[in-house]
Amino acid sequence: MLQPEIIEFLASTTPQILAKNIPVTENRESKRHDIQQKAEAGEEKAVSPFEFRPQRLRFAVEDEYFEDGDINRHMYLQNIVTSFVDDKQPPTISEFRCHIAGCKQLFDTLEGYEHHYNALHRNVCSNCKRSFPSNRLLEIHILEWHDSLFQIMAEKQCMYECLVEGCGLKFKTSKERKDHLIRTHSYPADFRFDKSKKIGRTTEKKTQQKKDAHMEVSATVLQQESSESMDFSLTPEPVETEPMQAANLKPRYSYKVPSSICFGQGSVRGFRGRRKK
Amino acid sequence: MWRLKTIHHKASASASDLEEFKRKRREFEKALRQARKDRQLVSKRLLQNDVEEEEKEEEESMETCFTFLSSEQVKEMIRGVQMGGEEKAARLASLRKALRNPENQLAFIKSENSMHMLIGQLSAHNAQCQLEATRCLHQLSHSSHPSVSQACVPAGPYLLTYLSSQSTQLTEVCLYTLGNLCPDNAAVREKLLAQGIVSALANCIHNQRYNLAVVEAFGFTLSQLLQAKDATEKIIPAVMASGIVPHLISALTPDPEFGFGPAIECSWCLHYLVSSSLDNSMLIAHGALSHCSAVLIALGGAVAKGNPQDGLELLIWPLLRCLGNLLASGGDVIPEDTRLLAALCVFAQIYLHLHPALSRESLWTLNNLTAGSSGFCSGLLLLNMVPILIQFLSFSGGINSMALRVLGNIAHHGPEYCVGLTQAGLLSALCATLKMADPEVVTLSLEVLYMLVSSNPQGVEEFTRLNGIPLLEAIQYNNEGEQRVRAAYILDHHFPSFSEVESL
Repeated sequence: MLQPEIIEFLASTTPQILAKNIPVTENRESKRHDIQQKAEAGEEKAVSPFEFRPQRLRFAVEDEYFEDGDINRHMYLQNIVTSFVDDKQPPTISEFRCHIAGCKQLFDTLEGYEHHYNALHRNVCSNCKRSFPSNRLLEIHILEWHDSLFQIMAEKQCMYECLVEGCGLKFKTSKERKDHLIRTHSYPADFRFDKSKKIGRTTEKKTQQKKDAHMEVSATVLQQESSESMDFSLTPEPVETEPMQAANLKPRYSYKVPSSICFGQGSVRGFRGRRKK
Repeated sequence: MWRLKTIHHKASASASDLEEFKRKRREFEKALRQARKDRQLVSKRLLQNDVEEEEKEEEESMETCFTFLSSEQVKEMIRGVQMGGEEKAARLASLRKALRNPENQLAFIKSENSMHMLIGQLSAHNAQCQLEATRCLHQLSHSSHPSVSQACVPAGPYLLTYLSSQSTQLTEVCLYTLGNLCPDNAAVREKLLAQGIVSALANCIHNQRYNLAVVEAFGFTLSQLLQAKDATEKIIPAVMASGIVPHLISALTPDPEFGFGPAIECSWCLHYLVSSSLDNSMLIAHGALSHCSAVLIALGGAVAKGNPQDGLELLIWPLLRCLGNLLASGGDVIPEDTRLLAALCVFAQIYLHLHPALSRESLWTLNNLTAGSSGFCSGLLLLNMVPILIQFLSFSGGINSMALRVLGNIAHHGPEYCVGLTQAGLLSALCATLKMADPEVVTLSLEVLYMLVSSNPQGVEEFTRLNGIPLLEAIQYNNEGEQRVRAAYILDHHFPSFSEVESL
């Protein structure tokens, strides 16, 4: 049924013929209509019933015209078993350890190592060796923790940037940001990547924002107590304990966090980094 | 292409299963059609760890991974993960397998602390556990039980955070999980939108645009968001403003090594964007029209060369829709390459029996391309494609009426074009369509016939010779007023001798 010249035409690599270069004869349609209308007028006849005009048709997403194609699409989505591409039969190699100092996790596949490295060693703060899940969170951390100018500026203007990308709002304190995250973005009250930062602040900048600090640390201490035994065994790094000086402070926020909720079963330490003291 | 292979694999069951397979497929299709009518057509996608692993497990199956576990056993598994130790990742993996069973999923989410445990692992400092925990969540998000996927919602902010993770494996699973959660209900969607899913997606595709597995997952998740009933008001404007569009458009071109997956997902996203909006000038300014055309030409070439791969229609379909609606809503911007004409004709021909609806949509796009474009209309005559269009006139289901529209577009350009159509043998084909039952087809045939006979005397002669006049006379007695008026008009004005004979 297919014409060979069409196949050939399609296979040509460059557009041989552009639509605008095709010889076009003048559209005499209007002239024809004029003549007819004159004729009709002469005969005192009704207007021609013919109304065909070339028109581009538009169909909306939910139009019935699209039903069959949509069904085909969803059969594809539902029928098909896909696979983790990177997971297919990873080439086995002899076991090796992560070369990052203090890590020493064992690997027997390159994929596993790649994932481990990307997840834990890619976005690491060079100052305090904390690791972050994304570059953005790392940048916010560096700014808020290690930029001496930041604290000075923060006293004058809103400097704590919302963690949600694209939000762009800034706040006076990290607590205000937290409230904003919970209220506006329906974040959980115990969002870890926010919390860990504030914990860090308590240890480093105890003088400032003391009130805030107390709350954070006390919450963490609670979790650590409940989860340490379960979780810490696996993590390969030397376990260090958070400075406990805040533990004796009034746990103002702790009531909000039931002891059953363990921010990652003690893995709080996870993104707080491995500081060797 | 690995993905398209799996279709093949699934379809090639042994002959005895074939009937059963077909029957199941029909039932499945029926259910989907009903869901679409109710505007509840929702699909979730499940990534399997490994196809081979899957098959192996299916063999040893039922006893291990699909077995029903008592809620006590499920609790035991949760405790096992918590106690973990060295085998924590392995325990999470076996938990994931257990979660394939819907009963176990329910037992899991009902167990105290279960979701906290998963979210804890998700945000923990062990990369392997993190990945396994995400896979568990992914397995849960695939559930059709509303309360199961609802239970995953607290993980939202973490899943969104990991979209900017450097680990592509993790990002991919997070994307599919979010994609599965999106369509469940408006409340979940609201929450994810508030948590910034659109900008998280924009950032993800910007960073990972060279990783095609992630691009495919991204496309799937975005398409899930865009299909929401309320997408037009909030989601689509947000997506248009997010900087996602250029990435979507450049992902339309399939990669020969990786396969069509990413292009399929992204072109569906583009279709949802294009077809929801009345003004697409912004998309056209980003090159949507030229990209769609170029990919369609390339696919047309591939299809025309013979044995088209299974599943190619999955990509052709959304691209055709993008092109068709972009032409209808993009002002006067039209593509230039006439190979597009050939590609559209090839699709309409090749898929005529396999996917008649695709054939119909190809002709629709061809109609939008030729409407008002003398260049493309001339192109159809010059490239001798009118005989192909004439062949479509014998097929119903919207195919012949759309082909008639295209022929009408050509004829509308004046006598020279009508002569060309007459020489290609259109009049004899019209004699056949005038006898058809579909009123739209008959009316369109009369319109085209009118243009042919009113503009050139050759047409009148030819139509008389083909014995077409009795057909018009018959239509004069038709129920449909529209048809009667038109037939009478043609007889009166162009075949006066006959109408006089009649009236005498």
